[in-house]
Amino acid sequence: MFEFKFADIGEGIHEGVLLKWFVKEGDTVKEGDSLFLVETDKVNAEIPSPVSGKINKLLADVGETIHVGNTVVIIDDGGENNKVDSKNEPLSEDEKGAGVVGQIEVSSEVIESSDEGKQEEKKGKTKVLATPVARKLAKDLGIDINLVKGTGPAGRVMKEDIYAYKERKEKKLEVSQDAKETDVFIQPVGATFLRPEVKREEIKVYGEVERVPISRIRKTISENMVLSKSVIPHTSVMDDFDVTELVKLRTEQKEMARERGINLTYMPFIIKALTIALKEFPVFNSSFDDIKDEIIYKKYYNIGIATDTPDGLMVPVLKEANNKGILEIAKELEGLVERARNKTIGIEELYGGTFTITNYGALGSSYGVPVIRYPEVAILGIGKIDKKPVVMNDEIVIRHMMPVSLSIDHRIIDGGDAGRFLLRLKELLSNPMLLLLS
Amino acid sequence: MALLNIIGAVTHALDSEMERDKTVVVYGEDVGYEGGVFRATVGLQKKYGVDRCFDTPLSEAAIVGTAIGMAINGMKPVVEIQFDGFVLPALNQIIAHAARMRNRSRGKYNLPMVIRMPYGGGIRALEHHSESPEAIFAHIPGLKVVIPSTPYDTKGLLLAAIRDPDPVIFLEPKRIYRAFKQEVPEEDYTVPIGKAKIVKSGEDITVVAWGALIREVQKAIEEVEKEGISVELIDLRTISPIDRETIIESVKKTGRFLVVHEAVKSFGPGAELISIVNEKAFLYLEAPPTRLAGFDVTVPLPRGEHHFIIEPRQIAKKIKEVVEF
Repeated sequence: MFEFKFADIGEGIHEGVLLKWFVKEGDTVKEGDSLFLVETDKVNAEIPSPVSGKINKLLADVGETIHVGNTVVIIDDGGENNKVDSKNEPLSEDEKGAGVVGQIEVSSEVIESSDEGKQEEKKGKTKVLATPVARKLAKDLGIDINLVKGTGPAGRVMKEDIYAYKERKEKKLEVSQDAKETDVFIQPVGATFLRPEVKREEIKVYGEVERVPISRIRKTISENMVLSKSVIPHTSVMDDFDVTELVKLRTEQKEMARERGINLTYMPFIIKALTIALKEFPVFNSSFDDIKDEIIYKKYYNIGIATDTPDGLMVPVLKEANNKGILEIAKELEGLVERARNKTIGIEELYGGTFTITNYGALGSSYGVPVIRYPEVAILGIGKIDKKPVVMNDEIVIRHMMPVSLSIDHRIIDGGDAGRFLLRLKELLSNPMLLLLS
Repeated sequence: MALLNIIGAVTHALDSEMERDKTVVVYGEDVGYEGGVFRATVGLQKKYGVDRCFDTPLSEAAIVGTAIGMAINGMKPVVEIQFDGFVLPALNQIIAHAARMRNRSRGKYNLPMVIRMPYGGGIRALEHHSESPEAIFAHIPGLKVVIPSTPYDTKGLLLAAIRDPDPVIFLEPKRIYRAFKQEVPEEDYTVPIGKAKIVKSGEDITVVAWGALIREVQKAIEEVEKEGISVELIDLRTISPIDRETIIESVKKTGRFLVVHEAVKSFGPGAELISIVNEKAFLYLEAPPTRLAGFDVTVPLPRGEHHFIIEPRQIAKKIKEVVEF
């Protein structure tokens, strides 16, 4: 049994006139259902039932003035004889909470003590910086953005970083599926090109070995070669140039040059011929920006000369070769090669090349498949000039032949272009007088 | 150490500060003889006399206006507005004068005064008895706005408010006035105004709330934790000035932000909080900063109020929505 007393409803109200009963004896009420309407000197208020149960007895009549503390209704709530006026345990006078303008939850539940001033240390989990759009992208691609290394301001993960990460992940997956022993993936370097990296298992040895760390130069060469071969689809065309006339010219002029302190080799003639051909075939003097899908045509002609040095391959660059005469080229070239070999070459003399020549003929070889210096798009290999029997006018004659090999970036240069380019070089070097006329 | 509910903590704080500081006076409608409609000032008139605790006419403008006069003359009035909705006639005094006196007098006068009022719904009351007007006050330069959610903080913040040299609007969540008790130290202490409290630290989402909704969010957290979601709950405690640092630090950690308030949504406190998060933690966000707030309506009368009041299951749903974005 629950005896509902008209509670201290606050607002300084001690009594009210019962205007209306919403229930009659025998009715079932739920907690919160209105029991009666009471008029006070402030408001008319519907008084809700604090318990669920069956109305046992109404103890006041409509129009009657009821006072705080009067029992107004008895509700059978299934419990023992219960004389509280609230759903909780008996409360002292000052804890009555039901109000004429509302119903305040009253409870003696004790909450945890305040830990003010003794809060725990913050944990160290950090998040990467990224714009919401980048996070969304990572999520859409199924990538945990926290694993992506950012290249943006303050290490912010950019959309490009996410794409690169994804590509790398996929490559890794592909390779691990069809080739177990190698693990190839592409890693982004800077914003403009992809840098290949090859991971291998440890090399097994089957006898006595000596491990020698490689030099910085060797490391650079190694990286450059991997880069070039990974990014550029190479192809090569080869030919033999009849340079008999060139040999004659050079032999004639050699003495004259020596008097001026110049060692005249074939290389200056080849460089000269090359600059002429490059102007006519500008794509050979370009770079391919495969991020923006653009070809960068260079209006300057800096010819790199692959040079064999005691420390390894170096490529000094002969700047603005197109503006220089053959003797001038010869003189400058000698200095460059000399400085490369004795390690006194300036760093600026190694940069800015637009096309490279490699002269493996100096060591007796005929043909090669030269590796393009990224981001150039072609390289010319020169073999050893030798007397060879050739057929001219249906007769076998002895001619000075120069074998050449041209490697090209097949993404932007076709085999036909390569053939035409070689043909023009051949023409120029077979008739050296043309070099003077051009 | 006494176990007190929030209303008890208000009484205790007022009592101890009136005893400590003779310039503190407490008044308002039914505040003196009756001890206030919610019994917040019970016993104070008896203990300190009618000069320091008294009833006023039913004129909120006069209540606040006289407080301004007292404060400017060196007293520390703590006035009670009976319900949130009754404060409207006093807005001219509060906004046009109380908030501006320091600036208007070029720093010569400041107003150490506190305006207390119960606020918020959930008690099946009438019109003007259920509103959450914190944004109205927080929008006014020169006012501080404080809302406690526990008895401990109620005492600490009320003492800090009375001792503050400028006007403080002290909003009391009436729905939880008597809903629970907590240990409240007898000795003097303050809880700093302008400092939020990390109620619970977590990793996945930052939830900011205040007043009566702290308890509702805690219930929601119990639900979502079953699903492995780790929630960091911040009790803002001071609506203005906002403790940006605590919020930003938390969002940088969790990457997700939800603000829950009973005040109506449009132009509400949540909008300001979300702006702060966007401005200062943008690069850390995993999901749109989100708000769960009251509908843009006058709080409904008792029969319809449950449609308006924010419940734990709604909060839990919103938390999951943000975390699973």
